[in-house]
Amino acid sequence: MVKEDNPISQVDEDEDEKESSNGGEEEEEDDFDEDEDEDEDEEEEEQQLPVTSESRMRAERARMEGIFHRISSERVPLRVHDVLIKGNNKTKESLIEAEVEALKNATSVQELLQAATIANARLQKLDIFDSVNITLDSGPPELPGTSNVIVQVVESKNPLTGDIGIFTKPEAKSWSLEGSLKLKNLFGYGDLWDGSLSYGWDQTSEVSAGVSLPRFMRLLTPVMARVSLLSQDWLKFSSYKEQALGLSLGLLSTKNHDLAYNISWRTLTDPSQMASKSIRRQLGHGLLSHLKYTFKIDRRNSSLRPTRGFAFVSTSQLGGIFPDYRSLRFIRQEVDLRYALPLGFAGAALNFGVAGGVLFPWGNGFLNTPASLPDRFFLGGNSSPVCTLGGPTSLLGFKTRGLGPSEPKRQVKTNSEDTNSDTSERDFLGGDLAVTAFADLSFDLPLKVLRDSNIHAHAFACAGSLTKLTENAFQDFSFQKYRDSFRSSAGFGLIVPTKLFRMEVNYCYIVRQHEEDRAKTGVQFSFSSPL
Amino acid sequence: MDEAIQSEQQQHLTLVIRKACFGLPTACPSCLPVYIYLKFANVPFDLSYNLTFPDSDQIPYVDTDTYVAYNNEKGGVIESLKEDNIVNLDAGVQNLPEWVSTMAMINSWLSDAILYELWVGSDGSSAHKIYYSDLPWPVGKLLYLKQVHNVKQLLGISKETAERREEEIYRRATMAYQALSTKLGEESFFSDNRPTSLDAFFLGHALITLYALPETSVLRGKLLEQANLVKYADKLKAEFLDAGSSSPDPSSSSVPRRGPSNWGSKPKGQPKRERTQEEKSFRRKAKYFLVTQMVAVLVFLSLLGGSDDTEVDADGDDGFDYDG
Repeated sequence: MVKEDNPISQVDEDEDEKESSNGGEEEEEDDFDEDEDEDEDEEEEEQQLPVTSESRMRAERARMEGIFHRISSERVPLRVHDVLIKGNNKTKESLIEAEVEALKNATSVQELLQAATIANARLQKLDIFDSVNITLDSGPPELPGTSNVIVQVVESKNPLTGDIGIFTKPEAKSWSLEGSLKLKNLFGYGDLWDGSLSYGWDQTSEVSAGVSLPRFMRLLTPVMARVSLLSQDWLKFSSYKEQALGLSLGLLSTKNHDLAYNISWRTLTDPSQMASKSIRRQLGHGLLSHLKYTFKIDRRNSSLRPTRGFAFVSTSQLGGIFPDYRSLRFIRQEVDLRYALPLGFAGAALNFGVAGGVLFPWGNGFLNTPASLPDRFFLGGNSSPVCTLGGPTSLLGFKTRGLGPSEPKRQVKTNSEDTNSDTSERDFLGGDLAVTAFADLSFDLPLKVLRDSNIHAHAFACAGSLTKLTENAFQDFSFQKYRDSFRSSAGFGLIVPTKLFRMEVNYCYIVRQHEEDRAKTGVQFSFSSPL
Repeated sequence: MDEAIQSEQQQHLTLVIRKACFGLPTACPSCLPVYIYLKFANVPFDLSYNLTFPDSDQIPYVDTDTYVAYNNEKGGVIESLKEDNIVNLDAGVQNLPEWVSTMAMINSWLSDAILYELWVGSDGSSAHKIYYSDLPWPVGKLLYLKQVHNVKQLLGISKETAERREEEIYRRATMAYQALSTKLGEESFFSDNRPTSLDAFFLGHALITLYALPETSVLRGKLLEQANLVKYADKLKAEFLDAGSSSPDPSSSSVPRRGPSNWGSKPKGQPKRERTQEEKSFRRKAKYFLVTQMVAVLVFLSLLGGSDDTEVDADGDDGFDYDG
């Protein structure tokens, strides 16, 4: 009997085939005895008939080694006769059969072993079984050279699990504390239901529930649906609050590609009644229906401290695919390119990155309509550009939403003569064209203690620009003006990676800023969570 | 007309209201009085429409770049404008007890009546047009249902009290119309023979009742019984609203469902003439199109016919060669 336990360690398809076949090899003696030497069995038995158990063991060992050599050196043909599934009380057979499909096509021992490893990994990944065993047994005696595969699964006894953790949500662009409940395999289709509550760093809160199906109709990749109620508070930065009730469907999700459709009812309000003119004009309800495609390649050796490799992300969003012409219509494109170059000494590496994004509405009168406020680009914040992969977002030294087009907030006359202008409060409106770039040199510190905990230092320089294109602003566009719109900062600091997040203590010097930007030269803390 | 505009506020005012429909610059009961007030005061202002926030109590508002007078602050936009010394038409009357109580009556009884009529008393088509016609359907529908529920709660209408409340609301409205009709008499305005905010509020209410509510509306019927009020409304509408104001919102293509009968006759003559001109040019173009198409077909056929002959000859030759 052959057992394929612990397949997780052998999940990689790139892993050496010989290794896996060698690993399982030694346990296979009996099977291959029976499979291949079936015809010769009787002969052998007649011939050998060892007298003592010792000599019998020696003979068996010799035979095993012979088989071992044979399998590792030449292709041993084998056919799978039948795949039997046991242990599934609730789970539908079709689901398990679909995951072990490849086993039926194996034509040799090596192929069969590899397919079994992969099938085991896939079944484990469904996350609905406590354990999965794939056993290769001999086929029916009248059919030589065949094998039966037995898939033994043990379903999770307790379908309900709870979880609390700190995660990063791409929409919120910051990290959040999240608690969730998961219900596994309720209907036997490998369905995973979960409900979660999360509270974010920037006062974002979200309640959501979702379901994930590994196999929906004939689609090859898992399908996900999620309903969420999201609330974001931007009163301090842009004088508005956003609430959104939405449904998102994950249509395609592979390692590099992701396609999702989202429809949500979004409301912008201003309870403070202090918003600036442009924000006042944008308040109200809207229906957002968009298709989002993300293409991602990440060949860096680490996302917390990359020292080698490159990464590329491109996100495209098409808004307005809804039968009603009054839904929000826009096209949004973001790209992000990173490269890490190892320098060979003291663990040093040079990281470069450039990111850009553009947003433009479409439809009737699109040249004059302003872009929808929550979809615009905003630069600034406390996250490190090295870690946050996915579009132009961060510029160290500048506060959250701290740069770009801005407008003065409402001024209320008070009885006393105090002028309302401590920086005469401004709302940051975001922009339609964003570009950021950074260069970061990171290196180990001489102290061994620091090196062991992966605490290292870095020196960096960043630059970015955020401009408006809509409402005919692009007609005033000139290269000179665009060059003048770039802000930049430089500095150095210490990076402390912990289990949950990466903390940085930086000294930032603002090289270039505009008068109204919220930026400060000095020491600042920065937190990132790897996406 | 009295006006008092401080120099510091002489930046251009913008009035943000809900969209124009039913032949009125706006058909929302809280927005129209402010519009009329500014028109009475002869203050120049820009108009901007908010089409996406029907359930906001901040709208209507008047703003410049940094100054805003919201509807839900300081007693309303008109009160804020008075207090901030931008526009004040009520100097001299706003402390008279009769003026104050008439205002209170308009802002409670008549305001409730029109709220009832728009959301509960009719089929909701007027309300839908005024507030939700620019929102995508699912959003508009849900907000409408939410607002109907809110209005019912505000007016104290439930299954048990519905009939009683309806009767009460209409009775009060009738009493208010009768009182206002008596107060107005044959005058042009309600007080001091000049427009005040009282005129603005009542005129707003009257115009919406007459033009935006369906013909079957009970409230509208009750107002039509007071002839002098109807005359007052039409006269002021013609004088302040229609004169020199072309519809500023090109997107609002709604044609008023009803207007006074003399409205309809003029436009009818012109469209007929235009239509025939259009028809003529269309027919001419169609003729040209057909002729060119026929010519093209003929040319194609002739060429095709010619090439057919040559092909046949070639085949023939081949045939000869072959045989030969």
